[in-house]
Amino acid sequence: MTNAVDIENVSLVFGGEGNNPVLAVDTIDIAIPKGQFVAIVGPSGCGKTTVLNMLAGLIPPTAGSVKRNGEEVDGPSRDVGYMLARSALSPWRTAIRNIEMGLQIHGVDKVTRRERAHELISLLHLDGFESSYPSQLSQGMRQRVAIARTLAIDPDLWLMDEPFGALDAQTRLTVQGEFINLWERSGESSVIFVTHDLEEAVLLADRVIVMTARPGRIKSDTIIDLPRPRVIDELRFDDKFKEAEHRIWKELRDEII
Amino acid sequence: MKSSDTASPEPSNDETDNSQIYSSQSEGSESERFDMSKIIETPRWKRILKAVDLPIQFVRIGLFVLIIWAWESRWIFKGGSPFSFLGWDYQVFPEIIPLFQGVPSEAWDFLLDIWDDSLFWGDFWVTLQEAIYGFVIGSTLGFTVGLLLGSFRRAAKVMSPFLIFANAVPKIALAPILILWYGVDIASKVALATIIVFFIVQIPVQAAVAGVDPDLDVVATSMGATQFQKFRFVVIPGILGPLFGSLRLSSIYSILAVVLGEFIVSKRGLGQRLLYETNNFGMGKAIGLITILAGLALVFNAIIGMMERRFLRWQDTEARGKVVSL
Repeated sequence: MTNAVDIENVSLVFGGEGNNPVLAVDTIDIAIPKGQFVAIVGPSGCGKTTVLNMLAGLIPPTAGSVKRNGEEVDGPSRDVGYMLARSALSPWRTAIRNIEMGLQIHGVDKVTRRERAHELISLLHLDGFESSYPSQLSQGMRQRVAIARTLAIDPDLWLMDEPFGALDAQTRLTVQGEFINLWERSGESSVIFVTHDLEEAVLLADRVIVMTARPGRIKSDTIIDLPRPRVIDELRFDDKFKEAEHRIWKELRDEII
Repeated sequence: MKSSDTASPEPSNDETDNSQIYSSQSEGSESERFDMSKIIETPRWKRILKAVDLPIQFVRIGLFVLIIWAWESRWIFKGGSPFSFLGWDYQVFPEIIPLFQGVPSEAWDFLLDIWDDSLFWGDFWVTLQEAIYGFVIGSTLGFTVGLLLGSFRRAAKVMSPFLIFANAVPKIALAPILILWYGVDIASKVALATIIVFFIVQIPVQAAVAGVDPDLDVVATSMGATQFQKFRFVVIPGILGPLFGSLRLSSIYSILAVVLGEFIVSKRGLGQRLLYETNNFGMGKAIGLITILAGLALVFNAIIGMMERRFLRWQDTEARGKVVSL
């Protein structure tokens, strides 16, 4: 079976042609089988987001190859959902129309996309806020709308760039729980989840990749062997979880301190 | 979210820990709750009264009456040197000879007279057409060019010296040439208004395109949006605020441009009429015509304001386009 993602010998240089070039990503290899939830952690500026941008087809690698389902990535794809750190909702669209945006771009008819949007609204507990504008929503709700928008197109690869970074601790826990439920139900979808929060990475992911400070290289790659379905808010106090987090923390600490 | 709401995967937590709960307010004790029914809803008439804000209306009306009185009584025409108490005798406000004076009542009489004057309405129609054509053509071109140059930076680089020079030209100076090229009828005035309106719209639109949230562009790109879809879903909605601001301004400037064009050479139009009346010392009529032109500009502005409120409903009520705040 082909992997969902194959990143082979990939390097990326920003600002070439004498413009003070910066090596952002240095010769990384990551292979992600279908249906795996991978978290990438690392200090800020380590090229985590750059990896997502390459997978989303927004920037080509300087060297090496980036493949999805065995095929070279050569531009944005309809099967990839990309969620940015900031919710990046269109302020002039109501919540439901924001959720529909990807479907609208893909040319899905109005009735079908409304149906799909309503489905996500109830899954993410946004009922009653369909026609609110983003400015009328709380931070947590905006992030939920952004999740719904990302997943509305039924992507088979979810790229999440610090999606919960801006949330307060309690809201984050709730949204993390909703998110993991959605993924556990989705079946075959693969997730690459970039975060600087190790606890979040270990709670959610099957596998945690630690990246080094710039230039980004892979420092460690660990399987998190915790049972699923996971109940996020309880798992935090589990000894096996704490042990896993501590193990990876030792790797990460060298990069931060 | 309470942790007890969800089943824990492993029964690892012991309930009898040594943390104490000092008080719990959520159970029972209905009497301590704040009674919302004590808050009486403000009646509708009170809310309207508050919105109208009577003191402001009174001061406004008072000021209006004062201005009309000072004008009608010809007090403002008697001249004066406000700094004479400093021993400086320069006449800042000249004394106006009676022939050049015009008062509101004369303007009012004129406004009543023209009501069934078909010749006047002919002139009105000419000016209205010129202004509308100039506004529509100029703002459409300005919007399109601004949108394209804002989106394609290399094209903007190529064009920028030409546009900067063209904008630096005092456009009124083109009027005589435009009249030679397009004739003394409507077309030359439309051309002048188009040129003036073009830059009023193009410059802010181009700047606003650069200011659209780049994250929205990334989201749309990652969803596979085409350039046309990005215009439709990201760029155009993102620049509506500055666009409407510039449209309001250009609706007024299109009237200004056509009146100016008519001053230079024309057969018909309110500007031509205004020049004729002033040359014949019909001061009341001139003031009446100026009032009509201002009224026209206000109507343009109100129509654009209505569209603005419709399209920018998502913005805060404060930021929404108000024509005149009552």
